[in-house]
This record gives sequence, C-alpha cells and structure tokens, in this order.
Amino acid sequence: MFVQGSGTAQQTYDAIVVGSGISGGWAAKELTEKGLRTLVLERGRDVKHPDYPTAMTESWQFAGRSRLSRADASRQEKQNRTGYTTHPASAHWFVDDVENPYSEVKRFDWMRGYHVGGRSLLWGRQSYRWSDLDFEANARDGHGVDWPIRYQEISPWYDYVERFAGISGSRDGLAQLPDGQFLPPMAMNCLEVQVKDRIAKSFGGRAMIIGRAANLTQPHNGRGSCQYRNRCIRGCPYGAYFSSNAATLPAAYATGRLTLRPFSIVTEVIYDPKTRRARGVRIVDAQTNQTTEYFARVIFLCASAIASTFILLNSKSDRFPNGLGNDSGELGHNLMDHHFIVGARGVSDDFGDRFYKGQRPNGIYIPRFRNLDATSKQQDYVRGFGYQGSASRDNWARGIKELSAFGADLKADLIAPGPWRFGIGAWGECLPYHDNRMFLSDKLRDKWGLPTVTFDCDWKTNELNMRKDMKNAAAEMLEAAGLRDVTPFDDGSAPGLCIHEMGTARMGRDAKTSVLNGWNQVHAAANVFVTDGACMASASCVNPSLTYMALTARACDYAVNEVKKRNL
Amino acid sequence: MSADTGRTGAADITRREAIRRAALLAGVALSPELVTFVARAQTAPAKSYLTAAQQAIVSAAAERILPRTDTPGAIDAGVPAFIDRFYGEFMSPDDQKLLVAVLQEIEMAAKSAQSGSFASLKPDQQDAALRAVAKGQEGRTPSSFALLRSTTILGYFTSEAVGKNVLHYDPVPGAYDGCVPIDQVGRRNWTT
Repeated sequence: MFVQGSGTAQQTYDAIVVGSGISGGWAAKELTEKGLRTLVLERGRDVKHPDYPTAMTESWQFAGRSRLSRADASRQEKQNRTGYTTHPASAHWFVDDVENPYSEVKRFDWMRGYHVGGRSLLWGRQSYRWSDLDFEANARDGHGVDWPIRYQEISPWYDYVERFAGISGSRDGLAQLPDGQFLPPMAMNCLEVQVKDRIAKSFGGRAMIIGRAANLTQPHNGRGSCQYRNRCIRGCPYGAYFSSNAATLPAAYATGRLTLRPFSIVTEVIYDPKTRRARGVRIVDAQTNQTTEYFARVIFLCASAIASTFILLNSKSDRFPNGLGNDSGELGHNLMDHHFIVGARGVSDDFGDRFYKGQRPNGIYIPRFRNLDATSKQQDYVRGFGYQGSASRDNWARGIKELSAFGADLKADLIAPGPWRFGIGAWGECLPYHDNRMFLSDKLRDKWGLPTVTFDCDWKTNELNMRKDMKNAAAEMLEAAGLRDVTPFDDGSAPGLCIHEMGTARMGRDAKTSVLNGWNQVHAAANVFVTDGACMASASCVNPSLTYMALTARACDYAVNEVKKRNL
Repeated sequence: MSADTGRTGAADITRREAIRRAALLAGVALSPELVTFVARAQTAPAKSYLTAAQQAIVSAAAERILPRTDTPGAIDAGVPAFIDRFYGEFMSPDDQKLLVAVLQEIEMAAKSAQSGSFASLKPDQQDAALRAVAKGQEGRTPSSFALLRSTTILGYFTSEAVGKNVLHYDPVPGAYDGCVPIDQVGRRNWTT
C-alpha cells in the first residue's frame, strides 16, 4: 500500500470531522468557530449551495415525468424501496446501489446519499425535542442501557441549535414534547383544524399540533423564508430549510479554518497504543484510489450510524482486534429505526368550497399519548408512537386508480380538485436489541476493495404489538373526527425504511456495556467522538435529527474545552 | 440520471439561455454544470420506439381518453410522443408487453365491430371500440387498458400545456393559506 507523505504538516489539523451531513456540518461549524483548524472528509462529491440541479425543474422537463429510465432505475433498486426517493427530481442524491452494495440476512432498507451535505439535503425536517420520558426509558423498563444524560443536560443545547437552524412550530406546553426556540408556526388547513378540534373534544384534550419543522417561516440568519413549493428534497435555492450546505458549512467556511475534502472515503481510524489516542484517519480517494493519512488531536465521526460504525469496526489493531472502541462487544449491535407505514385515512364531505394556496412542506403531528403515565399504560407493549399526517384535496392522480372511465367528463373532473382527505401514519419506537445488528463482510467487497455491511435486524414482539394499537388508535381518532370511509392500514415497513438508523455505537454509563460515554467519547479512545445516530441508546418515537445536532454541539464544546485544558 | 449525449447545437444554446433567464427571474444562481444538466433533461428524443401504426393507435386512443374540449386534448398536450418515449425508455418489460397488447386489442375491436382501422374511425366509433376493450378487461389484473389509460393521464397532467395553462401554475407561491374560498383561486388543481 502506498501511503502518501505520512506525518507532514499539510496532513495535520487540529480536528478531523468524518462526514458532512447534519452531524458533520454541525461539528465543522462548532469546531472551526471555537478556533480549531478542521478538516472535513466527505466520501462523495461536493455540492455547493445553491447548486441543486432540479430545484427549478417542472414535471414536463423530466422525460419520464415521475419515473426513472429503466437504465437508471436498474442502478438504484434498493434506493427505490421507499417509493419516493428515486423520483428523477431527487435520484441524484441517492447512491448507486451497484457501486455501493450491502447484504441483508433480513431485509434492511439502507437509504443514503454520498455527497457534501449528505442526508441533510434530503431529510423530512421534522424537528422534535426528546424529553425525560425518552432519556429515562431504558432505566425505567430495563431495555438497553441507561442513557448517561438527562433532558436537563441537553436542553440548553437544543436551545442553541434551534436558534441557529430555525425551527418553526407552536409552543404547546406538552411534557412529552418540550417546547423550544421556535419561529412562527405554519398554518393548518381547513380540515386539519376541524379534525384537531374534534380529537381534542373526543379524547380529553389529546393534542394535534402543526409539525415542528426546520423550514423557515421568516428570514433567519441570512437564509430566506419558505416559498411553499414543497420541493425541499431537491435542495432549496432559498436556503429555507436547514441543511449543512445552506447553514452550517457556510458558517464553518466563514471562519477561514475549514478545509473540506470531497471524494475521501475514511477506511479506518489510526490508533496509537502508546498514547491510547487516535492519531488520525486513513482515507482512500474515491476517484484516484490513492491512500492518504490525515492527523489531528480530535476526531469526530459523523458519517451516519452505519458508516461511522463501519469505520470503527474496520479499525482493527492489536489493542482492538474487533474494532476500535469495541471492548464491550456492542459495536454494530442495538441497531434501531422507527417502524411506520401504519395508520388510517378518511374522507371529508366538508369544505367543498374551500381550497389552500401554496404547497406546505410540513404536516400535522399528534404527539405520543400512550404509556405516559398509569392511566395511559398499555398491557402488551412498552414505549409509544406519534402520528404525522395531513389533509389535502385529491388531485388528478386520483384518476389513475380508476380502471375504465374516459372522455371529456373524466378530463373535466380531474382538472378540478377532488374530495378532502385526511390521513395519519404512526412513527413507533423500536427497542434496542443486542440481536439487531450490522457487521462487516469480507466476502463481498466494494469497488475500492473495502468490506461491505451486512444487516441482520427485524421488529420483535413489542414493535408488532404496538403496531396493532398504532392502526386501531388512528382509525378511532378519524372516526371520532367525523370522517367517512375510514380505512386503517398497515403496509409493513422493513427496518431502515424510515431512514432513522440509530444505536450501533451507543452511549452509556458503563464501558462494559456501551461504546461511548456521556460526552460521545469512545470510552477507550478519548479523542474519538461519535455524534451521529450511532450514539443513541434508545430510539424515542420522535424524529432524531434535532437531537444529533444538540449532542454534536455539546460534544464539540466539551472537546474544545478538553483541548484547551490539554486533556486531549 | 438519463443522459442524452448529443451535440450542442443552436437549439441547445437557446434553451440554455432560456433556463438561465428563468433562473435569474427566480433569483437563483446557476452554475454552468447545472444549466447543462437541466438542458439535457429537456432535450427531446430524436428516435421513436413504437411503429407508425402503433403510434397512430396511441394518438387516436389518447385523444379519446382525454379529448380536446374548451381545454386542450391529449394530442395538444403532446401525450402521444410522451407515451412513445415512456414505452421505449421508462416502462418495465412487463408493461411494454401490455402496451403493445392493448394496441392490438383496440385495433382488433375496431376491425371486428367497425371493419376499419381504429385510427381511421369517427370519434364515437372509436369510443365504442375503447368501451368494448375496457368492458372485456373488467376484473383483469393487470389490465392493459388501465395501463394505457393511466399513462395517458400521467402524460397529460404532467405536460407543459396542461401544467401551465389548464391547472393552476404557481411554481413559487411564496406563502401558504390553508383555507381560501375556492372561487378565489379557481376550481382547478395546483400544478405540482
């Protein structure tokens, strides 16, 4: 192996950040703003705001309209499992499955994009704080290991990241979903307001709120406000939702201390047994296949739950024969995602003379109402779920489902808006199981000769029992809201499909049962931090990205203080 | 992404300039790479995939499924050319076979009932042939008529003619109002 100029000044930085998505972007911003010369290594191509190639493309400008060509689709068969990501407007943000293979003992949908900004360009933008209901859950019911932190410790960091990112939402005073530093909320439409009122009346004040979203409802920190195009997944030229490209990376560049190297696949962390610290990382250039080493005092792994864990598992040494920081044997285990695609839909006969103006990139949210206290305790499952949903009028696509009608009347009917429809789908918490895991396979190697990931993960009794309630409780609310043709559904979701992978290098209080401590530090290599989804000790039922932001900012603050104190 | 690697001609340059101007109006800075990308997506194909006889049936059938009235018909909206390319480059092999089959079935229905080629019949005769095919396929899965019908609807409602002039076209709404009297915005779906 040729290793380019190891140890030279050009390859030495104060800090290295691996990955440029939501967590990596925050690490880059925080570390550079606090004075560290920081190298960000991103395995994919560069994407500079606002160069989003399809942001202004209309449907008729795509030759296949909503579909990829057969040739293109054949390269993204796994990425297509969501049913929405490989639309021609967004397929270029998702990996080529032929070049980036993985294996499944049981089906696992691994959706990802290799480019600067990562999934911060693609995320659903729903931004909820966790509460002590979540941080205390493992300790309370005995699943997984206790979180080493509580809400009080992370609350100021939620404040901090919300103020910068810009989260729109309403303050609702709910203990299970703490309020934050919000921009003005988006509005509900006619039917959503009616359903909200009726649910509150029928279920003792049960809350339905507008989604708390990282979409700006007013100009914020130099970024523009939402234009209500609902084309966020293409990249927003207005910078109106939070992404690394529009928000954190420009802030990091502004310090003059950021170096970003695209096409840099980090293959391992280099461990020095004498100092018991990591010295740096080894990369392979995705384009030239050349191997290079970079060195720093502090290393942040923010490559995503699966990719950061891959790097640690692949960092083998005499001291760590099973992967760096894997003394506990938990590295790669306790893989979690949210389970979803279960809920109910119904039709309303009201508001036929009403419509909405603008395409709102956000929906409604029904916060968790199960297992909050003794009265809401369930007999056959622990933890809980929340619902996301929305009301809208059917558009012309309703005509596709019919089989035979044609002619002038059909055309006139499809031009006009159809009936109002309201639907909700539940996002359920998944427990941390040691059995649910990812591991590296030497048999299947990728085009750079690296081992690949194999997943072995499935839902178990607690999730399956919860799903029955997720479906029934949805139908019950829609019936109570006065909708007709209420249709419950459970279309099943394989782990991974929710794109909330978590837990494979969990935090904990005890080095014997966890990989990271309460500051996201690898127990046995104090200058290596992991602040993406890998660190999560439980999954909550709310969307996790805001928590990654807060944990990353908190860990960076700690790391820089440790550097200043010469502890790192 | 699908890449038609053609020569850069005068039409391309004009198209690139048009995209650049549209983007400037929208307040977006475009890199040269981006302009190329979007221009490529808009480049029309030179070749066709269905035979001339098949295309004639597609055109006539699509126009009966969504006929011209006070709003454009399928032919006005370019649906036949869309279906040809969709068939050639986008449909699954199974759907490709179904499409070819429904065109044959329509032609046979026309010839048996009207003793003429479908494309040459009068509109009401064409409607009768399509109704016969649709009725014959009731309960069949997959239905080749349903495929022709849904592809026509997709091509029509995602076309420029319909997206800009028939539906309510507002690519940058700028604000959201969740409950407006429908007469204020028109009894038309939004172009999305």
